[in-house]
Amino acid sequence: MKHLISLLLLGVMTLAVTSCGSSPLDKAIKRVLVQQDTTQAQFDSICSIIQQNPDRYKQYLDQQGQVNVTELQALIDRIGADLRPPIRWDIAPYGQQELSLTIYFERSGSMVPYDNAGDRGQLKKAVNDIINHFPGRKVNINIVNDNIYPYQGSVDQFIQDRNIYASTAGVGNSAFTDFQQIFGAILKAQDATNVSVVVTDLIYSPADATDVSIDKILNEENSLATSIFRQYKGKSVLVHQLMGDYNGKYYPYTNRPVEFRGMRPFYLLVIADTPVMDRMAAQKDYSQLMHPAEARNSYRFNQSEASVDYCVLPDWKDNAGRFRVDHKDATRLTKCEGDKTTGVLCLTIAARLDGLQKDEAFLADARNYKLQSTSGFELSVTPVTPDMITGNNKMYLEGKTHLITLKGKFAGPRDQVSISLPNEMPAWIAQSTSRDDTNTAANGFSTTTLGLKEFLDGIASAFGTGGNYTTITVKLEN
Amino acid sequence: MKQQHYIYLALGIAATILFYVLRVQAYEAIYSVPGFSDQFYNAGLYEMIPLITIAVPWAAAAIYYFVINSVRFDRWYHWLMVGGISTLLTIIIGYSVNHSVFSDMGLSYGAESAAFELANMVWAALMFVIASFAMRWWSTNCRHTPFPQ
Repeated sequence: MKHLISLLLLGVMTLAVTSCGSSPLDKAIKRVLVQQDTTQAQFDSICSIIQQNPDRYKQYLDQQGQVNVTELQALIDRIGADLRPPIRWDIAPYGQQELSLTIYFERSGSMVPYDNAGDRGQLKKAVNDIINHFPGRKVNINIVNDNIYPYQGSVDQFIQDRNIYASTAGVGNSAFTDFQQIFGAILKAQDATNVSVVVTDLIYSPADATDVSIDKILNEENSLATSIFRQYKGKSVLVHQLMGDYNGKYYPYTNRPVEFRGMRPFYLLVIADTPVMDRMAAQKDYSQLMHPAEARNSYRFNQSEASVDYCVLPDWKDNAGRFRVDHKDATRLTKCEGDKTTGVLCLTIAARLDGLQKDEAFLADARNYKLQSTSGFELSVTPVTPDMITGNNKMYLEGKTHLITLKGKFAGPRDQVSISLPNEMPAWIAQSTSRDDTNTAANGFSTTTLGLKEFLDGIASAFGTGGNYTTITVKLEN
Repeated sequence: MKQQHYIYLALGIAATILFYVLRVQAYEAIYSVPGFSDQFYNAGLYEMIPLITIAVPWAAAAIYYFVINSVRFDRWYHWLMVGGISTLLTIIIGYSVNHSVFSDMGLSYGAESAAFELANMVWAALMFVIASFAMRWWSTNCRHTPFPQ
């Protein structure tokens, strides 16, 4: 009987050991990942579990008793990788330093008509919105034209100032804008936790340009942009184009002012270190800065290829034929087989593309995607809408922004489908560029900027922009 | 007690542990549905359900051989009846746990859960057989059930 009891006890103990492996910390992380509740509040609650049990979780604490984000990230990655589909939760932003914001408000002669008392004041509103919605507390404002001059009032005074150009009259020389001086100083002064926003019409108006040909001015502008930015390859520049009411003197490249009343484009240039820009792109707190609601067009320079979260939906209304998502590698589909009647295999990939800083029209347009496959699949893209998310598919769709559907006849035995979003200079830049701004009555004057393409091409040339925004790969086998 | 009886017991325990260690493969070999199986895995049900599938048949076999342990209840069909009740109880408890966990997660897989538990009858019945052959030798009145020694 002794042997019987011993053997039974051994069995029970072995089962207990194999079934009770996870700690409260592991369980809490798994719960957050499974429920897709990846918020600051959940991060804080996980940190409190660690800090309340310092002896048990000492590997997740640094010498000062603070949570070691790197170690905790490694644990989250391990647990996330074991889920179906694997889930990644980037907690790096929670442990990072607060960012500071520096506004560089251009005050050249051609900027003043953007803020007339009788107009709508879109330019000032856009700047105020950025300041008001910036999550950090440190905000500085500078006035720029021939040089950079600190704004003399407080941030609140700037926001409440109904006539900012009148109250800053006399600051610097508003007759010309020295891009070299301004951008050189901004890039040089910027530290790793700073975000700079230049509010400008992006019209290059150097001193002594009278009687200089437009080609020469634009070539000079292009070279200037390249020479400035090539020294700071670790920076990223995000350009937003907005429209504002304009009423007053416009200064063409001939420097002979003409009256103009109508809409004119203006630009917000967001400049930051590339990791800071990536961080802001990943956090919703910075959406006003990264995706201003009023922005007509946007483009980010020096955007490295990003890996995005995606998964194949195992059960979806558009699916046709059969496939099985591999449990170890969620990008590998086995037992792929076309529909018995039509021979068509249709599968849907849910992807989170909001971190790519592209607008919805760009992301939802299948023509912007490049598809490589030996099976000749066709691709379509649909935005994820709240009504698509149900309890059963929440695990796959929560946080995802787009559904990429592949449809075709899988030839087998193997195919590697590669879906990429090439990073190319958008068409709006050329469409928003003029080479002659002397005729304000010309068609397109109100939507174009002199030499915009040349200036932005110069930045692109400095950073060597190209490649893909992201690539999604799915391996098929039958 | 013969040494071979301890070997039967050890083999029964080893088979049970092996079943638990290979539980995901064991269950997905008999029932796997896109979506449902992933949620089942993420919810930790591949830990809970196998434990129920082990605990109930082993407890039922122990009750039959050591608590009931009666000469009036030692025929093969008595054993089969206890096995049937054990299997039924396993899938009822399993379904309740499955339903409760999925409801908490806002998931709705009623039909798939029921089908899974029907498939689980295979493992629940097998576990009762394993438990019976592991422990029956020590029963004073039922050690010949279901087959004579």
